[in-house]
Amino acid sequence: ARLRTKMVEVFDIVARLFSEYRTKTPQKLKLIDAYLLYVLLTGAIQFLYCVLVGTFPFNSFLSGFISCVGSFILGTCLRIQSNPDNRHHFKNISSERAFADFIFANIVLHLVVMNFIG
Amino acid sequence: SFRMASLAFAALLLSGAFFVSADKALVLLDNFSTRETHSIFFDYLKSQGIHLTYKLADDSNLSLIKYGEFLYDHLIVFSPSVSEFGGDIDTKAITNFIDGGGNVLVAASSDISDVLHDLGTECGVEFDDEKTAVIDHLNYDRADDGMHTRILADSGDVIKASIVVSKAPKSPVLFKGVGMTADSENPLVLEVLHASSTAYSYIPDSAITNYPTAVGKATLLIAGLQARNSARIIFSGSLDLFSNKYFLSSVQNAVEGSKKFDVSGNEELAENLAQWVFKKKGVLRHQSVKHHVQGQPDSPEAYTVSQDVEYTIKIEELVKEKWIPFQGDDVQMEFVRIDPFVRLTLNHTKDGVFRARFKLPDVYGVFQFKVDYKRIGYTNLYSATQVSVRPLTHTEYERFIFSAYPYYLGAFSMLFGLFVFSMVYLHHRDDPAEGKKLQ
Repeated sequence: ARLRTKMVEVFDIVARLFSEYRTKTPQKLKLIDAYLLYVLLTGAIQFLYCVLVGTFPFNSFLSGFISCVGSFILGTCLRIQSNPDNRHHFKNISSERAFADFIFANIVLHLVVMNFIG
Repeated sequence: SFRMASLAFAALLLSGAFFVSADKALVLLDNFSTRETHSIFFDYLKSQGIHLTYKLADDSNLSLIKYGEFLYDHLIVFSPSVSEFGGDIDTKAITNFIDGGGNVLVAASSDISDVLHDLGTECGVEFDDEKTAVIDHLNYDRADDGMHTRILADSGDVIKASIVVSKAPKSPVLFKGVGMTADSENPLVLEVLHASSTAYSYIPDSAITNYPTAVGKATLLIAGLQARNSARIIFSGSLDLFSNKYFLSSVQNAVEGSKKFDVSGNEELAENLAQWVFKKKGVLRHQSVKHHVQGQPDSPEAYTVSQDVEYTIKIEELVKEKWIPFQGDDVQMEFVRIDPFVRLTLNHTKDGVFRARFKLPDVYGVFQFKVDYKRIGYTNLYSATQVSVRPLTHTEYERFIFSAYPYYLGAFSMLFGLFVFSMVYLHHRDDPAEGKKLQ
């Protein structure tokens, strides 16, 4: 009986998480979250392919995988900096500046990726 | 008279030219009567184009080498009992002669001396002691003197190598002399003629107190050797085997009811041996070695890994003083870089061109095309051609690797996703209703 109530509690918490996300999160952040999900899935597919087929050619695998990991990290940074709840942490970084940093870092990342992919 | 003189001079020049081009052999004899008693054999040698110089074995002017060049191509030692060679010749000089490529024919007898004994030992053949003879109480000739030393060896006792002896003689071979043994582990010694299983080697008229040195089929009557530089040596335990008397004699086993042969097989055997030992047959040479990429005519400066190459070598054999294409089916070529990576049997055409077609291994380095052909009775054939094999240049690799397509796709999709996301994010207008909800 205790186990059953525990399971019901967990299910309730998860349901509340989803409903609060749907209602309380600004659309901008949901946009970033959608992009992040896309990047995550692409990265997971590449990793799974490498596990199944083997590491040849290793440089291409690293390049493709790191492009996903790097894009995910930069997307996460953009999300943190553009979340209005974090305004007091990033007082001197406007949202335009955050986006400009995001694009610049992505340019560097993809330059490296294209060189390393072979 | 000027005309006569010039004709004579021309004749002299021509004869000199003939002598210069012929093979030269030095014949060492115990006494000059051997020249007459073995005249059939010597005439045969002359007919094969060998020029003979007869000297006594203890002549003090003997020499095989002068100013670093050998004076003769062959040496015939028909002097079994010589106690010491004269002039510059001794066992060391003869061994030096063999190392220089000279061929030697040695015939001994029961009067064999220490010098010949030593010479045999140098070449891996052990003659039995002085005064011993090969005795066979069941295979001796009817004309024997009672000691049973004039023995018979039939075609089954002859080496079965058609290059050395083309066909075993139909009649038995007469032999009277000293026996030999050779180490069976020695890979260079050929047992050309061995005695029958009932023979043994001992002093004929003394009672046997020790075990004989040579017994049965291990008793060699004629032994041959081809050195690693292809010099050929034949040791015969019997000088009489080459004599006119034995060549022309009839043969009949003393056992009652044996068949009588009108002529012994000695002449036939001696002719075969002379042809082999003086390099008139069983001699190989290679002519042109070519290698190239299949489909291209010339050799490249260096090969690349995994290329298809073709290797050809022309091998010829000396038959009746002419070089004709060799027809061997077991010539192999190795592609070696310290160890062989490829080993193939070469296919050949009727004109003696041996060809191999193969793919280079996926290894780079300095390699050699090696043909190392060693067969009993033939001279050793060795050819090594060095080539470099280089790894692929940068532009010879495939540009896009098929198994990496998902990674290429992933990287480009990241770029595409970034572009789409940026467009949407930048053009996003905050919905005023949502803004109010948050407040």
